[in-house]
Amino acid sequence: MLEATDVTASYGDAPILHGLTTGFAAGRLTALIGPNGCGKSTFLKTVMGFMPQSTGSITLDGIPIETMGRRSLARRVAYLPQESYCPDYLALGELIELAGYARYSLLGGPSARDRQLFHDALDIVGLADLVHRPVSELSGGQRQRAWIAMVLAQDAELILMDEPVNHLDMKYQYAVLELIRDLTVRHGKTIVAVLHDLNLTAAFADDVVMLRDGRVEAAGPVRDTVTRANVERVFDFQADIFSHQGRLVCLPFGSSPAPAAE
Amino acid sequence: MSRRQLFWAGAFGSLLLSLLLNLSVGAGAIGPGTVFDAIFRFDPETYEHFVVLYQRVPRALIALQVGATMACAGAVLQGLTRNPLAAPATLGISAGATVAVLIGVYLFDLGMQAQGLSALAGGLLGFLCCLAVARLVARSRDPRGLTLILSGALVSMLLFGIANALLLSDPSRRTDFLAWVTGNINHFYADRLAMFWWIGALALLLLLILARPLTLITIGAEKAAAAGVNVPVVTGAALIAVAFAASSSVAICGPVAFIGLVVPHIVRPFVGGAFGLILPAAAVTGAVVCLLADLFARTAFAPYLLHTGLVMDLLGGAVFILIVKRRYLTARTRRPA
Repeated sequence: MLEATDVTASYGDAPILHGLTTGFAAGRLTALIGPNGCGKSTFLKTVMGFMPQSTGSITLDGIPIETMGRRSLARRVAYLPQESYCPDYLALGELIELAGYARYSLLGGPSARDRQLFHDALDIVGLADLVHRPVSELSGGQRQRAWIAMVLAQDAELILMDEPVNHLDMKYQYAVLELIRDLTVRHGKTIVAVLHDLNLTAAFADDVVMLRDGRVEAAGPVRDTVTRANVERVFDFQADIFSHQGRLVCLPFGSSPAPAAE
Repeated sequence: MSRRQLFWAGAFGSLLLSLLLNLSVGAGAIGPGTVFDAIFRFDPETYEHFVVLYQRVPRALIALQVGATMACAGAVLQGLTRNPLAAPATLGISAGATVAVLIGVYLFDLGMQAQGLSALAGGLLGFLCCLAVARLVARSRDPRGLTLILSGALVSMLLFGIANALLLSDPSRRTDFLAWVTGNINHFYADRLAMFWWIGALALLLLLILARPLTLITIGAEKAAAAGVNVPVVTGAALIAVAFAASSSVAICGPVAFIGLVVPHIVRPFVGGAFGLILPAAAVTGAVVCLLADLFARTAFAPYLLHTGLVMDLLGGAVFILIVKRRYLTARTRRPA
């Protein structure tokens, strides 16, 4: 549903994306992976129109994104940035209500359907009991789920997430990613998420797009794409990739010579 | 009753009470019944009616206007800059408006209406100067934190220096603006209130309409844009509204400082972080604080009068120190958001 063709973007004089071309299929969880500085976050920002110096074409179901206004884009695409800030005293319920902004009229507020949506979003992330709690008083894991609920409450079919499990411990990383995968499986969302951990990618993503130096090095279903050769090429890093009890496991060697291949 | 309902009941209760106290207490105590009569059944022969209608009512209305506009302006500035010390007085708006009025009066002999326009332009310019200095110093397009506040202090000092130089340059007319320049709620300024009140009212209305997108922007510009907010337009419109609201109140009675700094901190714990509630709560609370400060200024050292601006400076200075101590000087106990 999201197609990027020959996309370039730069910060000042520093080019980040060099002719990136890829597509994202509807209803799937696609992991965007690659070494630091390869342009993962920049690509998401370019889709959202936050990179003024960008060229190329990005279309959503065939419609060029730059022709869509902020409000109509917000009705179709939601975005979770890497860092999130919440002012003191803003209650979880107030935060979630803001997500529906693109559907409200100038002086109007949420409709009955919106309210139901907000409740469902909090329910899905397991925070429905904390509606009145200030977001700044939530724990790290709760807060990350609150941001995911806000993205959900926006009711967009495509959700872009920049490192949604950063700053979370192992347990929450799994919990949050399970939740995110559930959004595709049970709620029909299309999700593109920047991830760092190959094992998490292998465990949860359907597809993977591997970036290096602002270009796509490999893309496709996880099992075909997360291979020893691709990982070495993209990350400059040797790792053993094997199947263990039906799950793909990535075991890094670092720069030491690899033992005999599987 | 929830904490929030209790706050609203308290806020409106204290607004009525402080209004009544402000109108009846003074050099001569005037009973609430007489106050009521003076407003609704005015008798020009009665001295007390005259005092109420021509001195105390204008003062109270000015206090309402200044309190509401400055408090809302401070709340929006603190939200947009994410800086607990942001306010019209700390970011150069009040100083800009003040010096612009004085330049208009002393160098160009402007009439009252033109002084108002000059104040609006000056407030906006003062704010832009503060931003420019902060950007230069921080080498960042989006300066925050103490850099912004120190730049505001620098710009304000410079502008108030110019204002004082202008006052000293013309001994014969100095007294006309000597009280005004410290921020003085006084019935002399009733004409100015009548001329400029609508600017503040319109600005506050605009801010209230923008409440939801403004709250989104406080969460982060990219997040707000992703949720559908046209961030540059909303930020620009809100900042202009803030500068005009604060400057129009400066045009009325001079730079009454610190309401904009203090009041948002009082209301947020009660009403939460959404501007839809913060703005009305700040307006009411700002009005109460101003009414009480005016009452204190008139009665504390009677028969001598203090300027309300001086009372606010004392009160605000103390709170400023408290905020700096809590937010900047003590180890952070709050979780990073």
